[in-house]
Amino acid sequence: MILWVMPDSGARTKTDYKLLVELFKKEYPKADVTVQVFTRNILWKKIFTLKNPAAGEVIPDLIQIPHYWTALLTRAGVAENLSKMDPGLSLSSALYPLRPHCYKPGTKDLYSYPWWFDMSALHFRADHLKAVTSDPEKDLEEWSGLLDVCQRLKDHFKDIDGYFPMQNSDWRGSLSTRSAFMEIWGRGAAMFTPDLRGTLIGTPAFKEGMKDYMTLALKNYMPILRERGSLGTMLSGKASMLISRKQGVASFEGHIGVRIKTLPVPRTGEQPQAYLSGMNLMINAAGSDKETALKFIKWCARTDNQMRYAAMMEVFPAFEESFEQLIFSSSQRLRTYSGILASARTLPNMTITGTVVEILNKILAVSATQIVEGRFTQASLDIELDKAAKEVEYLLSLYEG
Amino acid sequence: MFDKEAFTLFKFGKKLNQSFQNRRELLDCALPALRDLFKLDRVYFFDWQQERALLSLNMMCKKEYCMDMQEDISVLNEPEFLKKLLQDGIADSTDLNYPAVYVLLKWKRPSMTLKDDDVITVMKDSVGVLRLERFRKNRVFHEAEKKLIKSVAGEISHNLTNTEIDQAKNQRLNTATALNDLATIFASSLRLSDGLELILQGVQKYFRFDRVRLYQTTYDGSKIKTILGVDISGEVTRQTGDDLPEDERTLLRDIFDSGATYRTIHNVVYIPLKVQRNKVGFLTFDNLLSRRRINYLDFISLKQFSTQIALAIDNAALFERVQELSNYDELTKLPVRRFFNEKFAEEIYRSKRFDLVMSVILLDIDLFKQINDTYGHQIGDWALKEVSRVLRTSLRQTDFPCRYGGDEMIIMLPRTNGEEAKIIAKRLKDRINAIAIPDRYTDGERVTLSISQGISVFPQDGQTAAELFEKADKALYWVKDGRRGTFALYRDVAEEVPQ
Repeated sequence: MILWVMPDSGARTKTDYKLLVELFKKEYPKADVTVQVFTRNILWKKIFTLKNPAAGEVIPDLIQIPHYWTALLTRAGVAENLSKMDPGLSLSSALYPLRPHCYKPGTKDLYSYPWWFDMSALHFRADHLKAVTSDPEKDLEEWSGLLDVCQRLKDHFKDIDGYFPMQNSDWRGSLSTRSAFMEIWGRGAAMFTPDLRGTLIGTPAFKEGMKDYMTLALKNYMPILRERGSLGTMLSGKASMLISRKQGVASFEGHIGVRIKTLPVPRTGEQPQAYLSGMNLMINAAGSDKETALKFIKWCARTDNQMRYAAMMEVFPAFEESFEQLIFSSSQRLRTYSGILASARTLPNMTITGTVVEILNKILAVSATQIVEGRFTQASLDIELDKAAKEVEYLLSLYEG
Repeated sequence: MFDKEAFTLFKFGKKLNQSFQNRRELLDCALPALRDLFKLDRVYFFDWQQERALLSLNMMCKKEYCMDMQEDISVLNEPEFLKKLLQDGIADSTDLNYPAVYVLLKWKRPSMTLKDDDVITVMKDSVGVLRLERFRKNRVFHEAEKKLIKSVAGEISHNLTNTEIDQAKNQRLNTATALNDLATIFASSLRLSDGLELILQGVQKYFRFDRVRLYQTTYDGSKIKTILGVDISGEVTRQTGDDLPEDERTLLRDIFDSGATYRTIHNVVYIPLKVQRNKVGFLTFDNLLSRRRINYLDFISLKQFSTQIALAIDNAALFERVQELSNYDELTKLPVRRFFNEKFAEEIYRSKRFDLVMSVILLDIDLFKQINDTYGHQIGDWALKEVSRVLRTSLRQTDFPCRYGGDEMIIMLPRTNGEEAKIIAKRLKDRINAIAIPDRYTDGERVTLSISQGISVFPQDGQTAAELFEKADKALYWVKDGRRGTFALYRDVAEEVPQ
């Protein structure tokens, strides 16, 4: 079986998967599993060629996909009908917010299965924040408070070479759409209208939300487009805060002397917002070892295995029992994440959701360069968002649902 | 004297001395070799985005393995570093707190362009960057080592050029083979619509477009007649031009008129289909959903292939025109007897199969010979034209009239019983009676046209074409026997007609 995954553990991804596969092979010694790692960018391009592979091209049996690719891959005829392969397969023990994203829209047929999920939260160094605020929980409730704290931190640590108040959690060290959703939602906008028939991308609220997020880079509170190895982290003391979707807690706990606290992402509107992104497993309809792929899916859904890979990748298990085990294992986790989960939102599982994320990522990539070059203007971003809105309307007219 | 640099290069070159399918395969081999040669902790390969002065990480190689990675580094604000890298081909990292050097890779890649419909290959420059890292601070890169690194980078660049050339050759060969296969399938299709469907599916499959669409237009390109499409699921769709939303119609008209064909930004390609000066339609290929850039070579190949498609569509249109000419009588514009007989047989079969009724009206123009003899053949022809005009405009869409021979005409009336046929016959009678021969031919006297009609009904009067014709003819004979200008249903007069 060939498994395609994304580098969720950074440079140690292959090592992590090697361990995971070894565990799987203990129970299924005859299974021959090869793991191939592709960035999300490359995986996005590759999924469109799966249906018509070139001669001699290697195709996977199982693929890790963000939950909102399910509708697209089902429509393209790439995803295998899991309900047909195993009528007993059920989502009854999966966390409720993850369930709708596994079906072919409008049907009860499963085309992908939950694996794990990540959820945005703000992590901060208690010792750093203590130097600039007596009540970080209160000061970090709202986005304006976050920006204010960033400025105070920047002033306070001005003598530390290479210090930034915020650590950039984006893989590329650039600006990413997924990091902007909480601010956009807080402003009352979203990618699509509530009935999913139109877009809100060109609206003032959407633009405001985007601006909120970009202020971090514009005011130099967060580094962008820098050598990753050259940048400090919260643990090395060259950053004080991080908005991350990873659990965070596991990696921070191991560092004695550094106390990390977690809060909901500061709100830009009335209510705090959290972005929840499910990672699913999808069997390639054209794969040659679909049986092993199905075994792997079921094996991953087992509580003990979920706890293992969730810890390995610092993510959250997708099933109730294992999620509860993780949450209840620490009072801080329980306090923090149960509140965040209650306010979590997901991207809709529609054919064009992945495309819209690509469009917005492209806009942000150009904006990031413009910020570094010092020629970014809000007006140019607004124009790009207006153009994107028209394109999304057109895509919606082509690909409904 | 032993030349260490030459020997190292020889050893390194030997490792790369194999055929690579693509750049990734080559880097999969070259990066670990580089890592081992210089005892590195990590090696990275970046794409150099000239317009944004951006290094985009493509691949990372560490101790145990290589894998895809992503990272964007802007070097715009580091002019000294940039200058040194571009001038010397190698530069130390200015930010990292452990030894790291950036090395420039410059290679050539073939690029196709179109000039007067000829494909021209030009070699274009490509630039990439390697970052070599050692995590221990004291393991710095010495000058002699940097010199060797540059030489090795030169070797990798050389191999990149060869790989790009091989890849382009293979790609061209594969494309040519695929299009040849498609042309063969197309040529062996009996019906144009089937052939086009296969072509579009084949193009989508081979070139992996999200959507492929063929718009057939009128010769002046002003109106879209039909749209044949294959969407991302591989499903074939057909639409008429009227079904298109207005904004899409406008958009397509703009594109057709502007002549713009290769739009990389929007991941859409438009190829107008023309035969000499006639516009036949246009093909569009898009990757709107996947956002993948459409390869220019694919565009060129499809542009050349589109000539065959345009010719085929044009030939089919001509064939349809010829068929139309052979099926219709030139004077009356009514279907000819052979065409009628085909349709008649089909309709009888359908009526039998689904237990339906149908009627037939046989008619001729009263005293037609006399009209010819009195007023000349020109007026005779005029009379035929006028009667057939009334037939064409007075009948329902499902009715099928025909010039059977001379002044004799026949009308097939599907799903029509005898009483309904009589209503139609009366309507025809009245409308034809209202036609008068132009008075300049009749010395001012009003001379009107009239027709006699005989009607038979399926299945009561006959179950075959011959039987129905015979019965309608008998009814007509009965009418003409002193009752000209009227009509009769066979079963109403069956007892009076000679059997």
